[in-house]
Amino acid sequence: MKVVGARLPRYDGVGHVTGQTQYVDDVRVQGMLWAKALRSPVHHAKITHLDTAKAEAMSGVHAVVTWRDVPLLEYGHLSALGIPADEPLLAKDTVRYMGQPIALVAADDEDTAQAAVNAIEVKFEELPTLFDVRNAFDEGAPKIHQWGNWYPHFEGDMDRRQIRKGNIEDAFDRADKIISGVYRPAAIEHVPLETQVSLVVPEPDGRLTIYSCTQALYFSLAVVAAHLEVPMNRIKIVGGTVGGGFGGKVDTATETLTALAAMKANRPVKWRWTREEEFLVSSTRAPWHMEIIDAVTEDGWILGRKMLTLHDSGAYARFSPYGLTKHSFHHTGAYTIPNLHFDGYVVFTNRTPTTAMRGFGVTSISFAVETHLSRIADELGLDPYEVRLKNANRINDTSPNRIRYTDPSSVEVIQALSEAAGGELAPAYAGATRAPREGEMLPEHLIGQLKTEGH
Amino acid sequence: MSVDVLIPETTDAAVEAFGDGTDITVIAGGTIVMQLLNYRRITVSKAMLLNKAGLSYLRQSDSTWTVGAMTPLSDLLGMFSPLGACAANVADHEVQYQATIGGNLCAPTPPEHPSGDLQGPLIALGATVRSVGAGGERTDGVEEFLASRAGRLVLDISFETPQAGAFAALDRPHTRHFTALAVSGVKSGDTVRLAATGVGPVGVRLLSAEAAAGDPEAAGNAALADAVLRDDALASAWYRERTLPSLVARVLNEIKEAS
Amino acid sequence: MNIVLNGVTVAIKSPPLASLLTVLREELNVTSTKVGCEQGGCGACTALVNGKPQRTCLTPIAAVDGASVTTVEGLGDSDHLTAVQQSFVNHYAAQCGFCTPAMIIAATAYLEGNGSSDREEIEEALKGHTCRCTGYQKIVSAVAAAVAETTFDLTVTTPSPNTVIKSGGQT
Ligand SMILES: Cc1cc2nc3c(=O)[nH]c(=O)nc-3n(C[C@H](O)[C@H](O)[C@H](O)COP(=O)(O)OP(=O)(O)OC[C@H]3O[C@@H](n4cnc5c(N)ncnc54)[C@H](O)[C@@H]3O)c2cc1C
Ligand code: FES
Ligand code: FES
Repeated sequence: MKVVGARLPRYDGVGHVTGQTQYVDDVRVQGMLWAKALRSPVHHAKITHLDTAKAEAMSGVHAVVTWRDVPLLEYGHLSALGIPADEPLLAKDTVRYMGQPIALVAADDEDTAQAAVNAIEVKFEELPTLFDVRNAFDEGAPKIHQWGNWYPHFEGDMDRRQIRKGNIEDAFDRADKIISGVYRPAAIEHVPLETQVSLVVPEPDGRLTIYSCTQALYFSLAVVAAHLEVPMNRIKIVGGTVGGGFGGKVDTATETLTALAAMKANRPVKWRWTREEEFLVSSTRAPWHMEIIDAVTEDGWILGRKMLTLHDSGAYARFSPYGLTKHSFHHTGAYTIPNLHFDGYVVFTNRTPTTAMRGFGVTSISFAVETHLSRIADELGLDPYEVRLKNANRINDTSPNRIRYTDPSSVEVIQALSEAAGGELAPAYAGATRAPREGEMLPEHLIGQLKTEGH
Repeated sequence: MSVDVLIPETTDAAVEAFGDGTDITVIAGGTIVMQLLNYRRITVSKAMLLNKAGLSYLRQSDSTWTVGAMTPLSDLLGMFSPLGACAANVADHEVQYQATIGGNLCAPTPPEHPSGDLQGPLIALGATVRSVGAGGERTDGVEEFLASRAGRLVLDISFETPQAGAFAALDRPHTRHFTALAVSGVKSGDTVRLAATGVGPVGVRLLSAEAAAGDPEAAGNAALADAVLRDDALASAWYRERTLPSLVARVLNEIKEAS
Repeated sequence: MNIVLNGVTVAIKSPPLASLLTVLREELNVTSTKVGCEQGGCGACTALVNGKPQRTCLTPIAAVDGASVTTVEGLGDSDHLTAVQQSFVNHYAAQCGFCTPAMIIAATAYLEGNGSSDREEIEEALKGHTCRCTGYQKIVSAVAAAVAETTFDLTVTTPSPNTVIKSGGQT
C-alpha cells in the first residue's frame, strides 16, 4: 500500500501557495460583463408592478433578465428524483423571502449594473410573515407557500416523513419513567471565503461554458439545462476549484441566472455575490425544532421514543425533504430503540431557503440525541457513559429504517470518549464490544428485533 | 461618475482645500470610507486624501501630548492606559497600521452598531480636539466636538499624561472586530473621569458613575443612568445592561490599585 | 499613478479611489489577492505595501501612488518556493487555498520582523486572517516550522505527487 498511511503532498498545494490556483473569479475572458441582482427588500409580498424599461435603456446595460425570460420558470433541486418543483428562478408574482431575486442586470461594470438595478421600478403589497416553525400549524397562520405551510409530497402525497416501528404504546406502558426534551439548534451560515460566483461564456457554436464554484457539478448541469430547456450537451461546466463550500454550494445559486443574462447579452457575464449577499441570501444550515419523549426504565434502557421534528426549510423546499429523511433514519442516534413513533415535517417560513451543511440533517439530531441521553442519565441518577453503552448499537441491532447493523462502532467510540474525559467505567462496560447482544445486554425489549429477519 | 481627488502635501494646503467642508469627503486611513465605497453606500464627488498632509505626529512636551489626526493606531499601542489598551483592542495589526486616530474620532455611526472606540479613552482623558472648518480654527473638548463634528477637519488631539488610567472591554469570542461595549477611566488629582463606547451613537461620559466613583459597585449601577442601551448587531441592550456595571467597577478597581 | 508591483514599475489607469484590490485584479490581472468581503474583515486581499501587510480592499490606489506592492506572485514561483510557501505545502496549511496567498503574505512579514515560533505569537500576528477550512492549527504549525527552520532550503523543488514528504516538524 503506497498511499494509506503515507504523507502525500496535496496535488494542488503548490498552486495554492503561489497564487496560481485559478478560482472562478480569477478566470479572465475578453468582453466580460458584470451582473447585479434586484432582490426583494421585504420578507413576503405580492409583486404588483415590475418595469425594467428605464434600466434597459441605460447606456452600458446589455441585458435585464426577469421571469419572462426563463424558459422553465420552476424547477426543483430534487425534480430529477420526481419531487415536484416549487421555486421560481426569478420571482414572478410573489416574493417569499428577503433577498429573493427578481431581476438580474448585466452591464459593463458593477457600478452600472447596480445603477440599473436601482432604476428598475418595482412595487410590492406586503403580506403577513411567518418565521417560527411552531406557528406554521396554527389556524390563523399566514399562508406562505403555494403548497401550504408544510411540504406535502413525501412518498407522493404524504405531508410528513413518518416512522413507525415496534409497539410504541406498549413501550410507554412498561416505562418506569417518561423523559422529554425540546432541542432547537439555530441556523448557521457556511461562510465560505469565496462567495457565490459564476462566469458564463456563450461560445460561437451556441454552447455555453459555465465556470462555477458549485460543489455539485452534475446537479448544476441538470438544473441549468432544465431551466433553459436546452439539452445538456450544449452546456459545459468547468468546476472543481471551490473556495470553500461546506454544503452551501450544493444549491445551484448563480449559474442559471448568469447563463440567461449571458445568452440575452450574447456576451460573457460574471455574477459574484458580495459578502453581504452571501450572509443575507445564500442558503444556511436550517434551524430545527425537535421534541423527544422517551420511555425509559430505571436502570437506563430506552424502551421507546416518540419524536416530532419541525425542519425549517425557509421559503422553498430545495433539498429539505432529503435532509429530513436522513434525519429521520438517524433519529435514534448511535443507540438502539426498538419502539418508535417519529413524525417529521418540512415547514415553510419566510426565511432564506436552507440547505445542506456537513452531515445534512444529521448534526441536528446528533445534538438533540446526545443532549437527551445526558438528560436521561441525569434524571435517573446514572452514569451518562453507561446509559449510552447500554443502548449503543451492536451487531444485529436495527436502525429506525430497519437496516440491520453489521459492524457498528458506537461502543468503542463511547468508550474512547469516556477515557478521553478521564472517566472510569465499570468492568461490564469497559469490556463491552460491538459483538451481538447476549446476557445482561440483551434485555427483553431488544429480543424482538433480533427475530425480524429480512425486515 | 468622475471623482475629483485632492492630495494636499502640507497641512496648510489641506486646510485650504477643505474650506468649510462642503461636499468634500476626507479620507484618512480609509478603513471606513473604503468599506462604504466598496458597497456603494456613499457617493463621492470630491475627496481629499490626507496621507501626505503632514498630520502624522506624536509630540510630547512635559506631560502634554499632541497627536496628529493621521497618526495610525499602531503608533498608539505602547501608550498609557486607557488609550494604548484601547488602540490595541481595535481590529487587527493590519487595520491598526492603516487606521488613524482622526478617522476613529470621526467614525460615522453606521446603522448596525456604534463605532469609534477611541472616543472613550479620549473623553476620559479630557482631550481637546483642534479642528478647522467654517468659522476657522477651533479647539473643543471631545464631547463638544462629537456633537458638532460635521464640516470639521481634525488637525490634532491633545491630552495630559494621566496619573492613572484603565480600560475594560467586552471580550467575546469570535468578535475581535468592533467592541460591543468598553469603559475607560482616568484619574487626575482627586477626580476620576469615566467614559464608555457602545452605549450610544458616539462615546459618552459617565457622569453619574463618576459621582459615585468611591464605591465601584455603586458607580457601576449608576452608570446605567448615563447610557442609552440599544440592541444592535454586536450585542443586545439586555446584555449591555448586565455588563456595563461590572466593566465600570473593574476600571475603578484597576485605577485604585494603580494609584 | 504607478506602483512597483513585485519589483516592476507599472502605470495605473484606474480611477484614484479604486481600491488597490480592484486595480490588482481587474487592471493588472494579479489574482492571488482575493475578494473575500471588501470590508476589511477577512484578510484574503492582503498584500505587502512598502513591506507591511495591508488590506488592499481598504486602500484607495491614489494613497499608494509610487509604493512598492508585493503579492505571492512576487515571492517564490512553483520551482522556487520560499520557506513559508514550502512549509505551507508540507504542513497541509492550505485546503481550499482561498485564504492562503494572504496568509503567506502575513506570515512572510511576520518572519521578516523576526517573529518567533511561539504558537500564540503566530496566532496574534495572523489574527486578521480568516480561514474557514483548516481550523488554523496547520497554518500555525506551518509558520512555526518556517521560523524554526531558518536554514530551510529556499530552492527546494516541489515534490512530485508521487513522492512522500518527510514530516517537517508537524505538531
Ligand atoms: C476589520 C475592521 C475592524 C475594525 N475594528 C474596529 C474596532 O474594533 N474599533 C473601532 O473603533 N474601529 C474599528 N474599525 C473601524 C476603523 O478601522 C477605525 O475606526 C479607524 O480608526 C478609522 O480610521 P481611518 O483613518 O481608517 O478612517 P477613514 O475611513 O479614513 O475615515 C473615517 C471617517 O472619518 C472622517 N475623517 C477621517 N479623518 C478625518 C479628519 N482628520 N478630520 C475630519 N474627518 C475625518 C472620514 O471622512 C470618514 O467619515 C474596524 C475596521 C475594520 C475594517
Ligand atoms: S477582501 Fe479585503 S479583507 Fe476581505
Ligand atoms: S484554506 Fe479554505 S479558507 Fe483557508
